[in-house]
Amino acid sequence: MTEHLLTLALRVLIYPGALFLIFLAFLYEWVDRKFLARVQNRYGPLYTGPSGILQPFADFLKLLSKEDIIPAAADRLLFNLTPIAYSTLPLVALLVIPIDGGEAVLAFDGDLIFVMFLLTLIVVTVFLAGLGSMSRFSIIGGVRAALQMLGYEIPMGLALIGPAVAAGSLSITDIVRWQSTGLRWLILLQPLGFAILVCCMLAELEYVPFDIPEAETEIVAGWRTEFSGRKLALIRLGKDLEVVLASALLASLYLGGAQPLYSLPGSITFLIKTVLVVLLFTFLRGVFARFRIDQMVSGMWRYMVPLAILQVILVEFGVGR
Amino acid sequence: MTKALSWARVKSPWLIHFNTGGCNGCDIELVAALTPRFDVERFGILLEGSPRHADILAVTGPVTLQVKDRLLRIYEQMPEPKYVVAIGTCAVSGAPFKDCYNVYGGVDKVLPVDVYIPGCPPKPEAIIDGIVKLIQKIKGEESRG
Repeated sequence: MTEHLLTLALRVLIYPGALFLIFLAFLYEWVDRKFLARVQNRYGPLYTGPSGILQPFADFLKLLSKEDIIPAAADRLLFNLTPIAYSTLPLVALLVIPIDGGEAVLAFDGDLIFVMFLLTLIVVTVFLAGLGSMSRFSIIGGVRAALQMLGYEIPMGLALIGPAVAAGSLSITDIVRWQSTGLRWLILLQPLGFAILVCCMLAELEYVPFDIPEAETEIVAGWRTEFSGRKLALIRLGKDLEVVLASALLASLYLGGAQPLYSLPGSITFLIKTVLVVLLFTFLRGVFARFRIDQMVSGMWRYMVPLAILQVILVEFGVGR
Repeated sequence: MTKALSWARVKSPWLIHFNTGGCNGCDIELVAALTPRFDVERFGILLEGSPRHADILAVTGPVTLQVKDRLLRIYEQMPEPKYVVAIGTCAVSGAPFKDCYNVYGGVDKVLPVDVYIPGCPPKPEAIIDGIVKLIQKIKGEESRG
């Protein structure tokens, strides 16, 4: 019994839990910044560690050591709690995604719904962070984040349900297992669902075509304007963990997740697939420009929702399962 | 531990840019220094929108009577440790506007300035050189404790 608890604690805290995921978060931020720089024909971080690989870590450490200002007008409770919630929610969601080949750390039946709930909760946290800062820029940013969620949440939910219907299970571990029998990756069976989920994840991550809540050319830094020092460090870490979560979700639901391929173990294929998804995000972020909030919401409802419903109908009629 | 912190501080200086009433010449050069041609992200330098996120206040232009309060407010919104760089001759001393009725003079009349970058306008190379000098100054401060 104690041995079982000990292995569980090790799995939650070290591998494939918190420590490993935070390491991945920093690594993927570096991959993202480096590839974005290459898309824009420059080098990106270069002198912090070998080819700048320690840059995200240096930024994090510097922010931790800086002064932590709480504006006089801010709601202290919300202002103190939201950065912590923002950085832990993606970490919790990542624990139900299988990473090292076998079962996820906290796998249970219906954990796909749990992940959808946490994705929404992250946006609610963003809204509360904007509201709690009590600055005009933060409030506009928070309201925009909530408004944007109204646009992308329905197609995202439908795109997450497609694989679940095909595999006949609401557990991410089971969906991954279903795909690994006979290499039937869902990106080949439901390419429309994959494209919709990529668009919705870009909106969830506030990446460039949908970086409306933190548009630095319009509203300073959006909902995170007032955060400094430790709180900003936690927010940046939370954002990086969210990138890991989004790429892990796409890799698990549509690209076969952590399955052993040829002689490669599951964890290595998982890393390769998630890095590919991060590169896809970065490329899209590099080639697009920002939408207006009304274009984003009406575009989502006009095109993404009907396409997502079409995808689910196709799956129901047996196409792509 | 302090070694790691000083390493992090040296490796990730984030800028905020503020024009106190200059002619925009220096601003164009500063923006040019941030473009892919010079790519200061190599050194970990990022341009931030919010003063709460920044370490270095890059000031261009002479300080006018109107902008003084705003400049102080932006400076006070930045978290410690913070540094100020005066870019261009106007920010260094007030230059041609020195004796104007509506101008205080250089930035150092209002704020403690760490690095002066002269030029009208300074080249992007000169601005990057100035930031590197500031980084060396931070390094020296950290090693002295």
